[in-house]
Amino acid sequence: MLKYVIKRIIALIPVILGVTLVVFLIMQLAPGDPARMILGEMATPEEVAQLRTEMGLDQPVLVRYINYMLDFCRGDLGDSYFKHRPVLDEILDRFPYTVRLAAVAAVLTVVMSIPIGILAAVKQNTIFDNASLVVTLFGISMPVFWLGLLLIILFSLKLGWFPTGGAEGWRSYVLPAFCLAFSNMSTVARTTRSSMLETIRQDYVRTAAAKGVPHRTVIARHAFRNALIPTITVIGIQMSQLLGGSVVVETVFAWPGVGRLMIDSINSRDTPMVLGCIILLTIVFSVLNLIIDLCYGFVDPRIKASQS
Amino acid sequence: MSEKNLAVEIKDLVVEYRTDTGVVQALNHFELELEKGKTLGLVGETGAGKTTAGLSMLRLIPDPPGVIVGGSIKVDGEEYLTKTEKEMEHIRGKKVSMIFQDPMTALNPVFTVEDQIAESIALHEKVSKKEAIAKAGDMLEAVGIPRARGKEYPHQFSGGMKQRVVIAIALACSPSILIADEPTTALDVTIQAQVLEMMKDLKKKYETSLLLITHDLGVVAEICDDVSVIYAGTVIEHGSLEDVFNHPRHPYTEGLFNSLPDLDNPTAKLKPIKGLMPDPSNLPKGCAFCPRCEYAMPICETEKPGKSFRNEEHYVRCHLYENGDAKEGRIGKI
Repeated sequence: MLKYVIKRIIALIPVILGVTLVVFLIMQLAPGDPARMILGEMATPEEVAQLRTEMGLDQPVLVRYINYMLDFCRGDLGDSYFKHRPVLDEILDRFPYTVRLAAVAAVLTVVMSIPIGILAAVKQNTIFDNASLVVTLFGISMPVFWLGLLLIILFSLKLGWFPTGGAEGWRSYVLPAFCLAFSNMSTVARTTRSSMLETIRQDYVRTAAAKGVPHRTVIARHAFRNALIPTITVIGIQMSQLLGGSVVVETVFAWPGVGRLMIDSINSRDTPMVLGCIILLTIVFSVLNLIIDLCYGFVDPRIKASQS
Repeated sequence: MSEKNLAVEIKDLVVEYRTDTGVVQALNHFELELEKGKTLGLVGETGAGKTTAGLSMLRLIPDPPGVIVGGSIKVDGEEYLTKTEKEMEHIRGKKVSMIFQDPMTALNPVFTVEDQIAESIALHEKVSKKEAIAKAGDMLEAVGIPRARGKEYPHQFSGGMKQRVVIAIALACSPSILIADEPTTALDVTIQAQVLEMMKDLKKKYETSLLLITHDLGVVAEICDDVSVIYAGTVIEHGSLEDVFNHPRHPYTEGLFNSLPDLDNPTAKLKPIKGLMPDPSNLPKGCAFCPRCEYAMPICETEKPGKSFRNEEHYVRCHLYENGDAKEGRIGKI
């Protein structure tokens, strides 16, 4: 298994190379000149040209890319054009906020979705099942920003229970975390429901019942564990998205996470910052994918066999 | 009748599957008698209600859509239909066990084989987890699998080995009644014989009464003492193995035997029973076999036949014998 993990981590190198190259090129093609944006509309062309030389923007793309990657290998992600500090420092300041929000949202998601999914499957076609389908349909189709605004209007402005934004104290976590969890929970609950519906009809579930295993244990031990794989997949994808920073929710709730940092940086053509965020995203996605794949192995021995 | 030592007595059992598109009559006044220590073969074609009969003894009919409408299932004199779910949990796997048809899907892929055997031991016997695992190892050896392989998962076993594991699970708590639902159907012919031989031995060893559900008359001849032939949810002929095999009375039973290849006359054409089983959601008013029967009479279309006895045990449900001539037999003569 260790060999498998090492192999997967080595495979991360070409992925990072590819992703950064693509982002580098896209930022190059995007309209707008960072030097011009730094100096403002009033600067003369000479001043802009001079700054371009200082920033190394006059060199060919490929040379700049190679220089960037060489610095990257030394742990240097460059300096932000606008914030006048190293990209890595800025990201490391912001990332913990995103992680904390993601963790709270993920816990909420799992705690709400899995019991709902299991119960809806076990009590298929009952009122509970139908109610859960309606609620989760809302969760999936309601735009996150709109839900965020509604929550702010009700709980912050009308009732004054929670702050409208920022990241101070536990109260500020409630609304953004719930906002993220609600739509995620809907997807997970539906996935869990449908995969439970499939497994509770399996022969081995009947075998367990025929052994005299109590109904609850049959569901929790025999059916649920087999239904877990699709659920884990969905939760894993959501976790990667949460850790990459949810742009919309961080914007609506003025949350100082990396999602907002990336959007701001894209808007201001802050290439080093964008690249830094993208590399972080790539690593987060890859590592989480690896963790999910390892989880599969713990859940299903047939997958474990193929990993060693 | 009273001197019979019955392990299972099912009377008048009616089971329906109720769906939006209609009511399927799975069992119609089904009856069954299994004597202690004996083997009863329940024979019939696909969809006749064999598996439903087995599952209803454990009260494991999928509900919804399955509903036990009425009747009685007595095991060792105890009525099962009035028991609570909790009471049934103590019966399943302990007193009555079931072996399922397809060993490929009957085992849970995410648990080791010994865990799956030990689960039922831990549930029904007052033993520690460790003792349960040790006993699971004994069971594996009893079905001819090395103890050490208990740590493996079902996907590491072949089909025949899986069926042995399923049998080990079923016999783990030495049940007094074992229901085997087509235990050999999914297996290769060579493995079939091994598994049957093993079941015979284990049955003797654990003094189990066996209800063998099958469509394979060869298997019935191999290990059964008595035979019940089921058609469209009703037992249409019942008797000892000898009676039914040597003196079949019902036209359907005759048809079953005619469908077997004749080894003495290998070039003879098979004579399959014409037609299909009637739609179980729309059974004929009279005898269910009437539309396919060569001997059908006007009365067959309108009235359900009662029992006609050939001897104390051997009976047949057919209008042909209502004048008391079950002894001589009429099929093949008209």
